[in-house]
Amino acid sequence: MAEEKNEKKVFEKDLDDYRDQVWGCARCNWCQNQWGWNVKSAEFSEICPAFHEYRFFPYSGMGKMHMARAILEGDFDYEDAPELAEFVYTCTTCGACEMNCQRMQDKEPLKVNEALRAKLVADGIGPMPDHKKLISSVKSYDNPWMQPRTQRKRWAKKIGIKDVNKEPAETLYFVGCTTALDPSMTKAAQDTANILLKAGVDLGTLGQNELCCGSPIARIGDRETFFELARRNIDRLNALGLKEIVTSCPGCYRAIKLDYAEIPDVPAINFEVLHTVQYIDRLIQEGRLTFTKEIPLKVTWHDPCHLGRHCGIYEEPRNILKALPGIEFVEKERIKDQSWCCGGGGGARTAFLEFAQVTAAKLIDEVKKTTGAEAIVTCCPFCEQNIGDVLARTGDSLQLIDLTDLVVRAL
Amino acid sequence: MAEGKKQKVMHKKLARDVYQALEDVVGKRWINEKRSLVETYSKLSIEGMTFVRKHQKDETILPACVVLPGSTEEVQSIVKICNRYGVPFVPFTNGQVFCTPTNDVPTLVIHLSRMNKIINIDAENMAATLEAYVDYAQLQAEAMKQGLWNGGTPLATTLCKLSSQFSFAGLWQTDLKYGLLNRNIVSVKMVLPDGEILTIGSRCLPKAGDYWEYGPGPDLLGIQRGGAGSNGIVTEITVKLHPWAGDETLPEVPHGRPSLEDVHDPKYDSPPPPANHKLYWIEFNDMETQIKTMRDISHAGIAIGLNATGVYSAYYCSQTQEMTWDRCENKFFPDYNCYAILAGITSPKQIEYEEKVLKRIVQRNGGTFLSADHKPEVLEALKPWNLDCIRHTCGYRMNRKMYASAWLPTGPFEVAKQTQQFWSDALNAFGECDITDRGGADDTPFLYALQRGRFSFAEVDNYPDPTNPDEIVKAAGFGVYGMARLVKENVCPCLMAFLSVEPFTTMFPEVGPDQHILFRKIRKVFDPKGVNAPGRQVYTKEEWENAPAELKQMVNKMREMVGLEAVQ
Repeated sequence: MAEEKNEKKVFEKDLDDYRDQVWGCARCNWCQNQWGWNVKSAEFSEICPAFHEYRFFPYSGMGKMHMARAILEGDFDYEDAPELAEFVYTCTTCGACEMNCQRMQDKEPLKVNEALRAKLVADGIGPMPDHKKLISSVKSYDNPWMQPRTQRKRWAKKIGIKDVNKEPAETLYFVGCTTALDPSMTKAAQDTANILLKAGVDLGTLGQNELCCGSPIARIGDRETFFELARRNIDRLNALGLKEIVTSCPGCYRAIKLDYAEIPDVPAINFEVLHTVQYIDRLIQEGRLTFTKEIPLKVTWHDPCHLGRHCGIYEEPRNILKALPGIEFVEKERIKDQSWCCGGGGGARTAFLEFAQVTAAKLIDEVKKTTGAEAIVTCCPFCEQNIGDVLARTGDSLQLIDLTDLVVRAL
Repeated sequence: MAEGKKQKVMHKKLARDVYQALEDVVGKRWINEKRSLVETYSKLSIEGMTFVRKHQKDETILPACVVLPGSTEEVQSIVKICNRYGVPFVPFTNGQVFCTPTNDVPTLVIHLSRMNKIINIDAENMAATLEAYVDYAQLQAEAMKQGLWNGGTPLATTLCKLSSQFSFAGLWQTDLKYGLLNRNIVSVKMVLPDGEILTIGSRCLPKAGDYWEYGPGPDLLGIQRGGAGSNGIVTEITVKLHPWAGDETLPEVPHGRPSLEDVHDPKYDSPPPPANHKLYWIEFNDMETQIKTMRDISHAGIAIGLNATGVYSAYYCSQTQEMTWDRCENKFFPDYNCYAILAGITSPKQIEYEEKVLKRIVQRNGGTFLSADHKPEVLEALKPWNLDCIRHTCGYRMNRKMYASAWLPTGPFEVAKQTQQFWSDALNAFGECDITDRGGADDTPFLYALQRGRFSFAEVDNYPDPTNPDEIVKAAGFGVYGMARLVKENVCPCLMAFLSVEPFTTMFPEVGPDQHILFRKIRKVFDPKGVNAPGRQVYTKEEWENAPAELKQMVNKMREMVGLEAVQ
């Protein structure tokens, strides 16, 4: 009776592979709202940042399903609907719609939207103009931020970390473009390296030879460029004979751990992939990191979407926070699989900055109203850029802290 | 893009002066007529015929424009503009059913998504006043903080906005004690189809307060209840609250939260019941015992909810489509069963007492509790109900292809037997669309015990492949056959307006009799220009005359099939 599952890899699928799904959207609206059992207040009961802001259905997962159906069946074309790309790209790819729809209807609105994005790119309609600059930068500089390759290693100047291009290391710190190149983020790179080195990890980096993992490109829908980056990364990383790699960026983590395996005709990776919070939690459990200093601070945790909802890394950062002396940890209302996105992902911040920042402001509002915390702690360069910008612009006293910063302070 | 050969479907637009007038009311941000946007307001979820119209490339299914008012006053201004220019409009919350245009006149969708605030919770007098887009989860979350709740949640908490539930019935798990939602309403504020504002209930007198549903004179709430969005737009609703026995928040699932990588793991669907609530599952050998036991439990005055689930357990408690099909095929869940929800409202000892009574009734009648000793794996699989019985979340789990048609007959508990027989007849006549269609024929229909068992409500549905229009038409045939058969057999018309939407209102003159004639007069009073969801709940004489011939033929065919004369 059961129909055969479509066994294609995710990045092999096009819109037609989702035909049953887009016809079968049940309009249950869980793509816009928190999972019913977890709703704790009327104010924070919604979960889709775009629908919450714009209130029209095309901004929701449901709307994407319906537009995808119409495109698939040829009910309208790009000339009839020049606004389509804006609806498709005003989405942070936070995956909240996918989480609830998978759980409720066994359907995949985020994957549908990403297939729609891929189609727009293939047809020359997408991505948004600002995304094109980002893609061009990746092609020219191997990073999305138009920075020369040599800049990648600047953060490590005063840190004695191996260059795996010259000598082998068991563990590779895959820093990520944003952490390595955004001056406001390089401290997180330094803290991460210092923590791991202090714990005795045989650690190295690729220095200026590190490539963009391709995550932003994948989310934007430029599959061709993403596949090429993935192939280059897999070839290079597999050749190093690593035991494991550690990433600071949830986007890198997801891309290397999950997305690469969904690309057709690429070799499997031959190493374990860990995010910094997993690695540090493991070091604490193994007794290789001990804390001596108290940090008297009340904090809450923000789950980055690509780490939490997408990959299930919920407990590790919480374990770390609970292990830090003096830290009072409080949960905000929407957490883990039902966490409110910061607004910074999926290319939204690049193309729709105002929307991204309004979304971050809503997160800040939730933290203030439901926790009384003095600081938001997280571990994602995109979240930190986006939330940090809003806090700085508004002069808010709420602190934003990378988890590695707290760990270093407590050592 | 689409391979060029495919026929486009383009929407008609409003006249520019109308658009401008609407924009002047809500501002540029909250009005939109773009092609891709109107698409998302056109295919509904459980009205099978909108799927067929999509397959047929019917352009009239597309609204001309969507507008998002932010207040009652804005709704009123919009409706007045529609009256001035003769523009039809349809009120819209989530778009599950009955809210696409029905004709080729450019139609405005009034989507209430901005009106989503709880206005007030009056804890002393146990009532909550809400804007139109507030859903059950929002209300319950806030009410629980004050030791109250709204008495239950239907189908799916977010799917159902309380205002649109008022327009239907508001069926929920705890009807045994609390009755239908539309009997839990204190007052509503509506914008009538002509643009007047109507306040119903005790607050129709300024400063009288919200304490009951009646004002002076004839019962206006009674006229508006079940209006299916055709008698005006609810902009505010005050509902009754009840004492809540649980904690301020619902308990977490002990196994934590899922990620996209493991979301289908059943362990995430195994919540405990809320504090001071218990859920008991009972299996029976046959329908007779099921009905007798449900009646006895109802009459004993125990439990807040009592329902039988049949095939629905396979949908609600299976995490994937494959699991749903597999469990249907292998009869994983009991064919005849019921669950009883006990609550310690007065004290925890209330549960102890009710448990004793429940066990005695079940023992006497010959039922078996699911337990560690009897089908523990089934009891484990049923765990989503532990929370769903209070805040319905998985209850719209569409681990089936689609909803296409439903029969929703009401009556004494024996209505389940009639429904089972009629549904079996329909399956024999039309054939099944999907194995899940056998639910209700080979096992119990979904059966709700309402208002202490004074009556019950049965449900059977079918689930064709949404990509296959022939199958949807077949499923629609089930729906129309059901209407005809229920009327023929004198089974009470369905609660949720399924017999009071066109063409059924007009084509079943046995109801009333000739109820549709009175409805037409009432519509004329409320909607003199015929702009509020025309052709939806009550045809005017002209609309009836212009209704598609094939629609009339389809209904008449089913009427004749069950032995009713054709309607001319």
